Amino acid sequence: MNVDVDAPLIERVKQGDTRAFEMLVVKYQRRIERLIGRMVRDVDLVPDIAQESFIRAYRAIPQFRGDSAFYTWLYRIAVNTAKKALMELKRDPLVSETALASRDEDDETSRVENELSDGETPESIMASKQIAGAVNAAIEALSDDLRQAIVLREIEGLSYEEIAEVMNCPIGTVRSRIFRAREAIAQRLRPMLDARAGDRW
Amino acid sequence: MLNGSEDGKRSLHGLSALADGELDPAATLQACAQWQGDAAARASWHAYHLIGDVMRSDDLVSDTAHDASFLKALRTRLAAEPVVLAPQRVEAGARGMEAAAERRAARGSRWSWLAPAAVAAGFMAVASVLVVTRGGAPLPGASDSLAESPARGSAVLTAALPAPGAGPVPAANVPGEPETLVVDGKLVRDARLERYFAAHSQFGGSSALGVPSGFLRAATTQTPDR
Repeated sequence: MNVDVDAPLIERVKQGDTRAFEMLVVKYQRRIERLIGRMVRDVDLVPDIAQESFIRAYRAIPQFRGDSAFYTWLYRIAVNTAKKALMELKRDPLVSETALASRDEDDETSRVENELSDGETPESIMASKQIAGAVNAAIEALSDDLRQAIVLREIEGLSYEEIAEVMNCPIGTVRSRIFRAREAIAQRLRPMLDARAGDRW
Repeated sequence: MLNGSEDGKRSLHGLSALADGELDPAATLQACAQWQGDAAARASWHAYHLIGDVMRSDDLVSDTAHDASFLKALRTRLAAEPVVLAPQRVEAGARGMEAAAERRAARGSRWSWLAPAAVAAGFMAVASVLVVTRGGAPLPGASDSLAESPARGSAVLTAALPAPGAGPVPAANVPGEPETLVVDGKLVRDARLERYFAAHSQFGGSSALGVPSGFLRAATTQTPDR
């Protein structure tokens, strides 16, 4: 697909619509945090660096010309932000909460463990497994048409037009199949998500 | 317009299409309004993307509470940022509406904040005005200007102006953040528009002062010999 999937939202952001930028943040925040988490060991810093990356992207978005995909561009900003943060850390070592917590125990090994833990508690690991399990089970339960449509979209990254060609059906049908697939999966997820997020969205 | 609550499902349909980049600008504007005003829509937007992430990689599963608080923190920081504005290319289909919006903004009209909404409501406005002007021509100035307009484009321009008069349509589309729209309306620049304004400024006479309706004002400013 040649056209950036984020083009409609980016146009809105360029016209001063911060809501569109929030939507892009929700879309990419997990990927950006994972990326930064691979560069920065201190888990407490990951959300901060991710925030900083998004703010920089927001400031720079008038210069975004769409020569690359928005995500590629955002990815570069996040990498640079993380590098800069790491250099600042070297110059001016900062004691993060994670480091403080492990220092209380005054034990080198516990600190290493803490850094490797990726900030995940057993509960959050459980919840993540539950969510992943629910998504996979829901996909299994979909009718062939719906499953094929969402897989072609999410895994293969095909456009609606391409999926319509593959599945030999009108684009409107593709659109509706993908929506129905998402709703069916989301239906299974909602009890888990709602219990954890409450009304906060 | 999809403002009724019974359209909830239909508008989630739109969010799903937007997640795939398959939504037109007018519907995207609507989705943004929905994002702002509808917690269920926000949760669905998050869920749709989480589903995609999980399908692609198990290690992208994340804590929803974390995601929500991440956004909250970012929103606070965004509020402190100046609103970004990029120079816009005027889309071909919306050129007439943009021109109308721009002109209103340039003349300091109190409706200028509606400019982008006028784009969204434009087609509706065009349709309704054409019906009005054809059916009985209650406003002679308007039909005159339509008849005399040298290009199709100016007919669209004339027709687009009543958008603010249509009231509920743009107002419902843009429930919040009018300040950004004001800036937007005033700062959008296009060389073709500038040339257009330069060429037509002589027609922007004061004969329309006191006319209460945006429609009438639009019509008279389009008439060269007044």
